[in-house]
Amino acid sequence: MSLLEIRGLFIDYYSDRDAFRAVDDLNLTLERGEVIGLAGESGSGKTTLGLAIMGLLPDNVRSSGSILFQGEDLVAMQDSDKDRIRWRHIAMVFQNSLEVLNPVIRMVDQVSEPMIEHLGLGKEQARARCVRLFEQVGLDSVWLDAYPHQLSGGMRQRALLAMALSCDPDILILDEVTSALDAFTKKEISDLLCRLQKTADCSMILISHDITFLSAVSTRMAVLYAGRIMELGATSEIINYPMHPYTRGLINSTPGIFLYRDLWGIPGEAPSGQVRGCPFFGRCTQRVDLCSRQPPRLLPVRVPASAEGMTVGSSERDVACHLGGVVTLLRASGLNYSYRLSDGKLLDAVKDVSLDLREGEVMAVVGQTGSGKSTLAHMLAGVMGSDVGEIFFDGKKMNGDRYGSGYGGIQIVFQDPASSTSSRLSVLDAVKEPLDINGLHSPRERIELVASALSSVGLPTTDEFLRRHCGELSGGQRQRVAIARALIMRPKLLIADEITASLDVSSAANILRMLKGLQNCRGFAMIYITHDLMIALKASDRIAVMDGGRIIETGNSHYVMLYPRQEATKRLVGARIHKSSGGNCI
Amino acid sequence: MVEAVCGACCQEKEDSFKAPQRAAMMPDLRAIKADWNFIMKNGDGWRDHLAVALNSIQDSIGRFSPSGKMGISGLLLIVFIAIFAPFVTFYEPSAISGMSLEPPGPEHILGTDELGMDIWSQICYGARMSLLIGLAVAMISGLGGGFLGLMAGYMGGNWDRALLRTIDITMALPSFPLLIVIAAFLNPSILNVMLVLVFLSWAKPARVVRSQALAMKKQQYIISARLHGAGPVYIIRRHIMPEALPLIFVSILNISSYAIVAESGLAFLGLGDPTSKSWGMMLHYATSFRSIYFTPYWQWWLMPPLIALIFLLLCLAFIGRDMERIVDPRLRSRGGQ
Repeated sequence: MSLLEIRGLFIDYYSDRDAFRAVDDLNLTLERGEVIGLAGESGSGKTTLGLAIMGLLPDNVRSSGSILFQGEDLVAMQDSDKDRIRWRHIAMVFQNSLEVLNPVIRMVDQVSEPMIEHLGLGKEQARARCVRLFEQVGLDSVWLDAYPHQLSGGMRQRALLAMALSCDPDILILDEVTSALDAFTKKEISDLLCRLQKTADCSMILISHDITFLSAVSTRMAVLYAGRIMELGATSEIINYPMHPYTRGLINSTPGIFLYRDLWGIPGEAPSGQVRGCPFFGRCTQRVDLCSRQPPRLLPVRVPASAEGMTVGSSERDVACHLGGVVTLLRASGLNYSYRLSDGKLLDAVKDVSLDLREGEVMAVVGQTGSGKSTLAHMLAGVMGSDVGEIFFDGKKMNGDRYGSGYGGIQIVFQDPASSTSSRLSVLDAVKEPLDINGLHSPRERIELVASALSSVGLPTTDEFLRRHCGELSGGQRQRVAIARALIMRPKLLIADEITASLDVSSAANILRMLKGLQNCRGFAMIYITHDLMIALKASDRIAVMDGGRIIETGNSHYVMLYPRQEATKRLVGARIHKSSGGNCI
Repeated sequence: MVEAVCGACCQEKEDSFKAPQRAAMMPDLRAIKADWNFIMKNGDGWRDHLAVALNSIQDSIGRFSPSGKMGISGLLLIVFIAIFAPFVTFYEPSAISGMSLEPPGPEHILGTDELGMDIWSQICYGARMSLLIGLAVAMISGLGGGFLGLMAGYMGGNWDRALLRTIDITMALPSFPLLIVIAAFLNPSILNVMLVLVFLSWAKPARVVRSQALAMKKQQYIISARLHGAGPVYIIRRHIMPEALPLIFVSILNISSYAIVAESGLAFLGLGDPTSKSWGMMLHYATSFRSIYFTPYWQWWLMPPLIALIFLLLCLAFIGRDMERIVDPRLRSRGGQ
C-alpha cells in the first residue's frame, strides 16, 4: 500500500457568483521515502493540493474524490481525526514565513507546541528536542528564545522546517520554501532537505515553481497545469526530455537548468474559466481539434529510445496529451548525399545522417565549414533529394514533394541576403510571392498578410517601404524580408541556413532574437544551421554536431557544451576565443 | 508538352547533378497547372511587366553617354526618314525623273543616277529596306535564339547539350562566305536573304541567355520560389525573363548591325534582290558603272549610300556599346542606385 494515494480529486473554490476549479481529476501516489516535486506556474493548483492533503482547505471549498493516507480517506475524515494526523503524520512547511509565525511568542514555544500537543512531551523534553531539531536544520540554539522578527528569512524558514519536523512526520509538504530566499540560502536549504530525506527517511512533497530546486531534491516530478497533472515521471528525465509541451515551456523559462540558453516564457495565459478540452489548448503549439473538445487523460507513454540523456528502458512517464506528448515533426533516417567532383570522384557531403525533430523544438546543427550542414538543410527542405534514406515530415514520407507550397509546411531561409530575394522585386512582391504562386487568398488579403508578416519581423509596413526594391535594402533588412516570406506560409518547420553569417554582429543579434521570439510565440520548430557554437547554445534546445558529413553528437545543448564527447565537438567548444586568455599572446 | 518538359529535365547532366536533385527539379503536373492558373488569374500581370520593361528602358536611356544619345537620335532620324519617305522625297525612287547622272541641284538635291532616278529618294526608300532587314532578322534571331537559350539553360539535360553543340557549329561556320554561297544558290529574294541571316545569327543570343539562365537558376530566391511550388513557366516569366531581356536587347542591336552589313554586302556583290532599292544595291549599281572613279559621278552616286550606311552602323554601334555597359552586371550594380 502506498503511503499516500490521491484518487480522482476535484477541488472547487466557490465565490458568490461562480466557481473555480483549482484541482481537476488528479491522481497521484507517494511511496514511503519518496520525494515528489509538484511544478507549475502560479495558479496551477499546487498549494491547494498541499492544503487539501493537510486538511486545511478554507470553507468556501468543495472537494470530491479521495486522499488515502495509509488507507484512511482524508477527504471524508472528521476534523477531529484530521487533527490527529496533521503534524503528527503529515506536516507542512508554509511559504510565507513571517505570517505563519506568531510574532509575540518565542521560537522555542512555537516549535514545541505541536510536540506538546501531539506527542505529549513535557516542556523540558520539548525544549531539549527543539535544540536537536535546530541543530538538524542548521540553526544555532541561541535563537531558541528569539522572537520571529529577530530572525532572518532563511532562519525563519529553517525554524518552520524544524517545527514541521518536530513530530517526526511521515510526509512533509514543503510549499515554496525557497522562493523568497537568496541563492546561497536556497542551496543550503536544498542540501538540508537532501540530508533530511536520507537521515529522517520521510517522504516529501515539494511544491515549487522553481524547477532547479525540484531537480536538486526530488526524485519524481509532477507538472501541474490548471489543476491537472500534465506530466509525471523521474525528475532528471523530465528535465532532460520533457514530453509535454507545457513542461518544455516551463523548463525553457527556468534559468539555471541550461546555463547558456536565453530565457523564453510560455506565451499566453492560463485559462481563467472552465474549459471543456485540454486546459493547455490555447497555448499549445501542436493542438488538434480533439484537444478543444475533450480533456486528455494522464496516460503512460513510451519515451523514444533515441532520446538523449535517457538510460534506455528506465523511463516511466505519464503524459496528459491526446497526441501522447510532443510529437515528432521530422524524422530523417539514413540520409546520404554525394557531390560529383570535376575529376569524377564522389565527395560524400552527408553520410548516414538520421535525426528527429520534435514539434516546436529548436535544433542547432553546428559544424565547421564543409561539414555538410547546408547540404543536410537543403535535403531536409527539399531543395534536393537524398541519394539514399528517407524523410518523414508530419508523419508523411517526403517524396521530392514540396512541403513549402502550402501552410504548415517546411520553409527555408538561405544564407546570402543578396540572393535570398530578387533585387528586382519590390518588398511587397517578394513577400507576397508564395501566396501568388499558390493562389492563396484574395489580392487584398495578401497585402494585409504581407503587412502583418513584415511587422512581425520588425520591418516598416508603409507603402513607401512596400514599394521599395529589395536591391535597395541593407543585408539585415533583406534577410528579414526573406524571413517574412517564409513566415507568411505559416511553416511548422523553419530551416535557417546560416542566416546571420554574412551580417554584422548587431544585425545578426537582432535577427536572431527576433526569430527566436517568433519561434517562441508561434511555436514552429526550427533547424538552425550555424558554425557558431555560441549562437547555437543561445538559441537552441538541442544541438547536433556535424563533422565530415556525419552527425557525430547530438544532445541537449547544455550537455554538449559542458561535456563534449567527441573530438570534433571538443574542438568546436575549445575554439571559442576567451578574452581572458587573449592576454597570453603578449 | 508536359512530357517534353519532364524529359528535358530528367536528363540534366551538365552540372554534375545527380538523380535526386533532378527529381527535385522535375516540374510536376501540379506545378504546371498552378502556373497556368496563375497566368489565367493574373492576366494583367503582363501589363505590369510591360510597364516595368518600359521603365527599365527609360532608366537605361537616362544612363546613356553622349555618344549613345547621339546614336539614338541618329537612329530615330533614320527611322523617321524611312517611315515618312513619301513625305520627305519629291519623286518615286524608281521613277525616271530627270536626266541621267545630273549633279545635285535644286531639282534633285542629291542628283540622279545613270537611269535618271533621284538619289535622295533611293536613299530614303533604301533606309526602309536596310532597317526592315536589320530589325526583322535581329528580332527573329534575338528573340528566337534567346528563347531557345532560356529553355535549354533552365531545363538542362540533353536539350541543353544538343543546343550547345548546335551553337558551337553555327558559330564556327565562316558566316560571310557561307552567306555568299547560300545566297548564290537560293533565289536572291529578300525573304531568302533574311532566312540565311537568321540562320547565321541566332547562336550568339542563345548562348548568352543560356548562361544567364544557368546562373540564375541557382539563385536562392529562385530555389525559394520553386520550393513554394512555382513551376518553370512562372519562374522563367517572373524571374529569369526580366533579367534576360536586356541581354537579348543588346543582342538584337548587334545582330541588326550585322544583318544590315551582311545584306548590303550581298547586294554589293550582286547577290541581293535586283528589284529592291536598298543601299547595298545602290552601291552595287554605282560601282558597276564602268570607270565611275574617272568621272565626278561617284561624288553623288556612290557617296550618299555609303555615308548613310556608315552613319546607321555608327549609330547602332554607339547604342550597342552603351547598352552593353548598362546591362553588364558589374557596372549595373553600381549604377543601380
